[in-house]
Amino acid sequence: MGPSADFLGRDVVSARDFKRDQYDEILRAVEDLEKNEESLDGALKGKLAALLFFEPSTRTYSSFQIAADKLGMTVSGFAGPTGSSITKGETLHDTVRMFEGYGADVFVIRHSKMGAARFAAEISDVPVVSAGDGSREHPTQAMVDLYAIKKAFGRIDGLKVGMLGDLRYGRTSSSLAYALSNFDVEITFIAPEALQMRPEVSHFLRQRGVAPRTAAALKDVAGSLDVLYVTRIQKERIPDPTEYEKVKGLYEVNLEALRDAKPSLKVLHPLPRVDELSTDIDETNYAQYFVQAAGGLPLRMVLLNLILGGVR
Amino acid sequence: MAKADGERMLVSRIEEGTVIDHIPDWRADTVSRVLRLDKLARMQADISVVILQNVSSKGLGRKDIIKIDRWHVDERDADILCLVFPGITVNFIDEGKVSKYTPRVPDTIEGRLRCPELNCISNAEREPVTTRFATLKKESTLQCQYCDALLDFGKVPDHVRT
Repeated sequence: MGPSADFLGRDVVSARDFKRDQYDEILRAVEDLEKNEESLDGALKGKLAALLFFEPSTRTYSSFQIAADKLGMTVSGFAGPTGSSITKGETLHDTVRMFEGYGADVFVIRHSKMGAARFAAEISDVPVVSAGDGSREHPTQAMVDLYAIKKAFGRIDGLKVGMLGDLRYGRTSSSLAYALSNFDVEITFIAPEALQMRPEVSHFLRQRGVAPRTAAALKDVAGSLDVLYVTRIQKERIPDPTEYEKVKGLYEVNLEALRDAKPSLKVLHPLPRVDELSTDIDETNYAQYFVQAAGGLPLRMVLLNLILGGVR
Repeated sequence: MAKADGERMLVSRIEEGTVIDHIPDWRADTVSRVLRLDKLARMQADISVVILQNVSSKGLGRKDIIKIDRWHVDERDADILCLVFPGITVNFIDEGKVSKYTPRVPDTIEGRLRCPELNCISNAEREPVTTRFATLKKESTLQCQYCDALLDFGKVPDHVRT
């Protein structure tokens, strides 16, 4: 089955912008690609991907870069502010206009400011894919996360998903919550008050008829969960350093914390981790985060192929 | 003291300009802030502003009134006012003729408010972004169309662009 027309030329700036059938199509296409790994090689030959990472990135940048390479695209841009004209004060606006002039067919943008991807999409005539904007969203990570859940359970519907950690400043958790609102899941936000989900996310979920539960501590809900999504405290995004001091080290997921967990529980983490996820889980059946990270490459290949109308 | 008498004692009728009426008592300063009346000083034009506070009102008991001589308030600003003061009325006066403008809750507000999220791209220095908010009428809230931050109608006066 070829890419459906409603992906062609689309921006990917929010996980809210996609519906259930579109998520299903993306996940199916990733499954197909994993079965036939070379099926998209060279599919976007001759096209130019501009990767503009105004914030440093390792795995997201690398996975987009490798994805674009495998698709046969020419890749240009920068992996962080160092060594680019951003350090001279060049704006997002001017950078997008410049790369558009160079013939970019798609922009992949990471930026520290919330809403930067939407702004770039307004400027650009070609699709913009957000690779994270401030603490707002990281929509392609949410797709990666959905795929990791689907891979572990064969389904997403019917699962109980706990999201633990810095839900307020973490952009992956808001995107995942938006994406999960398309599925029949029970969501629990597990965080101290200061790190609970931002009001606009809860507002959107309520509008969609989704009523997440909240819990202050993992031990209150650990035994009921199918998926535990752990996130790091976003030190760099918490405006007040004293606020960070208060919340750092508040939670750590280790084998002891999972004592009451179901044997089938899967732990996800968008990585990188700091202290919130112990390495003693790495070799257990709970660990799904490395499988999750590996899904980033095929997922981003599929997404670029869908929005740029590659292989049909 | 009757309302009309009270007003007449304080200010005469204007022939050209705007009268904003039915402002809740002692809130004229908030209206002034939303309308950015301070910019009139920079315009160096022959414009007078009279602010009446705590005058008698049949409907409200007490109310404030703002009369602006020789200047018409922008209708889009009047619409923003009604987010905060839904009962407000705006009369435009041209050559002594009064035409009533009924402010409406707008679907979107562009360029007039600052986003409450300091880390929003619309607050970034040097980026040429025009702020844009969608109105969530049921919730009496605005939502930034860039970063999704919510802004309660009641907090709008604190976020008017200067």
